[in-house]
Order: sequence, then C-alpha cells, then structure tokens
Amino acid sequence: MARIALIVGALVAIVYPIPLQLQGTTYYQTVGFLVLLNAMLGLGWNVIGGWAGQFDFGPQVFFAVGAYTSALLYVKLGVDAWLALPLAAAVAAAICAVLTYPLTRLRGHYFAISTVAIWMIAQPIGATWEYIGAAQGLFIPVKARSSVVTSALSLQFTGPTKALGYYYAALALFALTLALMAWVERSKLGFYFRAIRDDQEAAEGIGIDSRLYKVIARSITAAVFGAGGVLYAFWALSVFPEQALELNWSTLPIMATVVGGIGRLWGPVLGAVILIPIAQIMSTTLGTGPLAGRGIDLIVYGLIIVVIAAFRPTGLLSLPWSRWLRLRRPAIA
Amino acid sequence: MAPLLSVQSSTKGFGGLLANREISLTIDAGEIVGLIGPNGAGKTTLFNCITGYMHPDGGRIVFDGTDVTRTRPERICRLGVARTWQVVRAFGRMTALDNVVCGALQRTNRIAEARARARELLDFSELRGKDDMPAATLTLADKKRLEIARALATQPKLLLLDEAMSGLTPMETAAAVRLVRRIHAELRVTICVVEHVMEVVMPLSHRVVVLDYGLKIADGAPQSVVRDEQVIRAYLGADDAAA
Repeated sequence: MARIALIVGALVAIVYPIPLQLQGTTYYQTVGFLVLLNAMLGLGWNVIGGWAGQFDFGPQVFFAVGAYTSALLYVKLGVDAWLALPLAAAVAAAICAVLTYPLTRLRGHYFAISTVAIWMIAQPIGATWEYIGAAQGLFIPVKARSSVVTSALSLQFTGPTKALGYYYAALALFALTLALMAWVERSKLGFYFRAIRDDQEAAEGIGIDSRLYKVIARSITAAVFGAGGVLYAFWALSVFPEQALELNWSTLPIMATVVGGIGRLWGPVLGAVILIPIAQIMSTTLGTGPLAGRGIDLIVYGLIIVVIAAFRPTGLLSLPWSRWLRLRRPAIA
Repeated sequence: MAPLLSVQSSTKGFGGLLANREISLTIDAGEIVGLIGPNGAGKTTLFNCITGYMHPDGGRIVFDGTDVTRTRPERICRLGVARTWQVVRAFGRMTALDNVVCGALQRTNRIAEARARARELLDFSELRGKDDMPAATLTLADKKRLEIARALATQPKLLLLDEAMSGLTPMETAAAVRLVRRIHAELRVTICVVEHVMEVVMPLSHRVVVLDYGLKIADGAPQSVVRDEQVIRAYLGADDAAA
C-alpha cells in the first residue's frame, strides 16, 4: 500500500509539469518548486524539532549561510552551484555545530529562545558586513547557457524553461534529502535522537551523550537548510539579508512539519503539499481584485492552519489512515 | 581483589541540607547489595553520585579502577554501570523493543544486531509479545521491567536498581525479585538495590547497607543488620526501640 502510494506520488511529481509546460504555463511549476523546497526544509527541521524534540526557531540562519556561501563561491571564485552546494551545506553544518554546542546546556523554552536570539544577531551582521554586500547583498549573474544540459549542470535556468528547470532541480534535492532522512531515521542517530526527546536523563543513563547528539541533530538540520539556501539563491539570482534571513524560512517548514505530522518521516512532505499550494491559491484569489492589500488571504490561511492544529494537533499523518483505507478496500474490489 | 565499586567519604549537600555525609562503602563483583533506609535517608542521592548525575562535594568514587567522581553519566554507563529510576523513565513514545535497542546500541552500531539483542532481553525480562507496544502504554510493572531490560542492554558490570519494586502488587514484587535473582545468576551482573521495604531487600541481598539522615549507620549481613539497635531506631523510632 505504502509502496504504491510512493510510486504514484513519484510519478505525479515527475510528470505533472510536462503538459503544463507544453501549454505554456509556468505558474504551477513555480508552486511545485516552493512545495518541494519547503518540504525539503521541513524534512531537515524534523530532525532537530521532530526526532530530537528540540524546538529550533532559527534554522533560517543556516538557510542564509548556505545561500551566501554559494553566492560568494560563485561570484568571487567562479565555483558552480552544484559544486558549491555540498560545500555550502558543510559550512552551514559546521557553523551550526559551533553555535549550537554552548546552547545545548539550555533546555526546553530556553533552548528555543536562544535559537531565535542567534537569528536576531545574524540580521545586523548580514545587513552591515561589506564583504557579503551588506544590505544590498550579492547578485548572481547568469552566464550565457547554450543548452539544457549546461543549464542543468550549472543550476542556471532562464527563459520559459526557468520554472521547469528549478522544479526538477528541487525535486532531485528533495528526493536526496528524503532518502538521507529515511536512512537517518533508521540508523543509530534516529534512535538516539528520539531517546533524547523522550527522556534526556534516561538517555544519558544508557550512554547517550545528549549534548553531542543534539549538536549532530541540529547540524543535519542546518546542512539541509544550507542546501535549500543554495537552491533558492540560484533561483532568485540574488542573496540579501531581508530575503535569506526571512522568518518564513523557518515558520513555513515548521508549520508544514507540525500540520503533516511532527516526528514522522513523511509529515513535512504532506504538510508542505497541503499548506504551500493553499498559501499560493489564497494569495492569487483573495490577495487580488477588490480585496487586495488587506491581508485577507493571510487571515484565511492562518485560520486554516489553526483549524488543522485544533482538530489534529499530532498532525494529519497521525489520523488512522491504514484503518480507513483497509475499510474501504473491499468496496473498491 | 579490589572492589568493583568503592565510595570513599562521599559528601553531597543541597543548600544547608547534607543528603550524604562522608559515606563510604564498597561493592565486590558478584554481590547483591541492598541499600536501605527511611525516606529522605540519601539513597537516591548516593545513586545519583555513583552514576554521575550529581557530583559529590567531597570524597571520591572509584569504579573498576577508574575515578568517576566528576564523570558524566554517559561515560559512566560506558564503563559498565547501568541504573533504573525510582520514577520510571521509559522512552514513552518509542516501542518497548526500540527502548531496549537504544541501550544495545551502546555496544554495537549495527541496528540488526542491537534488535536481536533487544529481543533476547525482552524475553529474558518476561516482556515477550510486547515488543511493538509504545512504552507509555505499558503497566507500571512492565515499564519497570522494560527499564531493567534497557539497562541490561548496555551490558553493565554493575546494575543499580532504584526502587524497582515500589508501587507493585505482591505478585508483581515476587516476579521482580525473581528477575533480579536471574540477572545475578544467569547474566552474572553485580547488583545494588535501593528499597525502603525491608521485606524485599533482606531475603534478596547478600549484604545490606543502611542509611539514615545522610549517614551510613550499618553495613553487614541482613540477619545482623536487622538486630542492629541504630537500624531499629531509624525504622521504628527511638521510643519503640527503648520499649
């Protein structure tokens, strides 16, 4: 059952943009890009927030680290995006490890607010540091690309195939992240993260170094956010503080994870598939026309999230799907 | 032969209250030692100092030749000390099997191997058939058994049981005593049990250490300790002892 759903989901994700592209539409490819980007970030946040149970409200710092690192490598050294991507993820993870180690002395709310504090410190640094372009940030010039192959190899898509190209790039990165997280969940790391979440003292009593594994968990989160930042930077063709350090880079993935099912591998994926299109639909329907500019779309969007959270605080994946699907199966047959 | 555990004049205070006052005791490999005393005598504080959750203000603790006075809990576990908790601390949202797998991963990095070891220990701890139950849904008696299985999975030389039998029915208590005897006999683990129920500790222990108001007041064979006047006074009060 789960395998069929996986295959169908993968096929839909691969095939759906093609007829749209042939029609000349690009809007839904961009929505798909944002869904996949946020799903990927949600998968990353699920490691520290879901499995390790530590509320991290500042992962956007590492999104920015990834975006800036790749932009600097590209602008100053001419390093291509795909090569910059693992480097940027590694830099994000390394900076995260150094910043997080002292924070692991803090627990619960104090850990959570300290992650916010780091984000608050990052903002003036981003806005004033001349080397990274201060408030103006960095622009990523498009080098002339002659073919689809060279565009794909350099992660620089332009013209009518821009949305489609980035969609497939996001799909590839998302799939890679999903596979890595599936491995993490089943590895020793996954067991240790959940042990710390459920009871830190008991975890230490069976030999788990809680501080070390919290640092590892958050660094995995940071690596995923760093990679997401690279993808976004090359899509946006620029990196600047207000964009890369925007609060939405944590709130959207966190909401997707919570709505879909926190601590479950597919939770953030389901949440992003539901929430991101709703946000887009709201802004294109309620956000335009006579009601434009009044934030009605955001109010309705917020209400939808509140209703889901009140109706199913453990996430949509925690609903008894297997029982429902089994009940319905005879009716189909 | 050097003792497996040696506590040397360990002192631990909280503000003005001295929970442990210069406590010295040793545990030899192969013993079952009972640590008893009225509520507030300092038993759990001593456990916390031995397992690294607290560090003594004075004195020394040596385990298996290593000074662990200021060592963190996870390191002490790796050296071969495992414990259970007075108030159970199972990993509630994980299955019973996964709880024990976490312990077994201390000695192997391979999940399949850890899982096989965990299954054996669940069977050993008479939790067969409860592998896939979330730990939070187990009964208190089963949670305590699960904690023991999880502790055993780390392959300890010394197992510290903090009131593993409190809150259990007489039948559950008898089963728990049986389990402790089997751990000692079949797995050859040295055991220290904290209890304040004399009836449980006396028949189980080779030797009994008695704490009262943070002081060690007796240390010896169960038969001699129950006749010790200081112990009787601690448990029954001064007037009864005089009567």
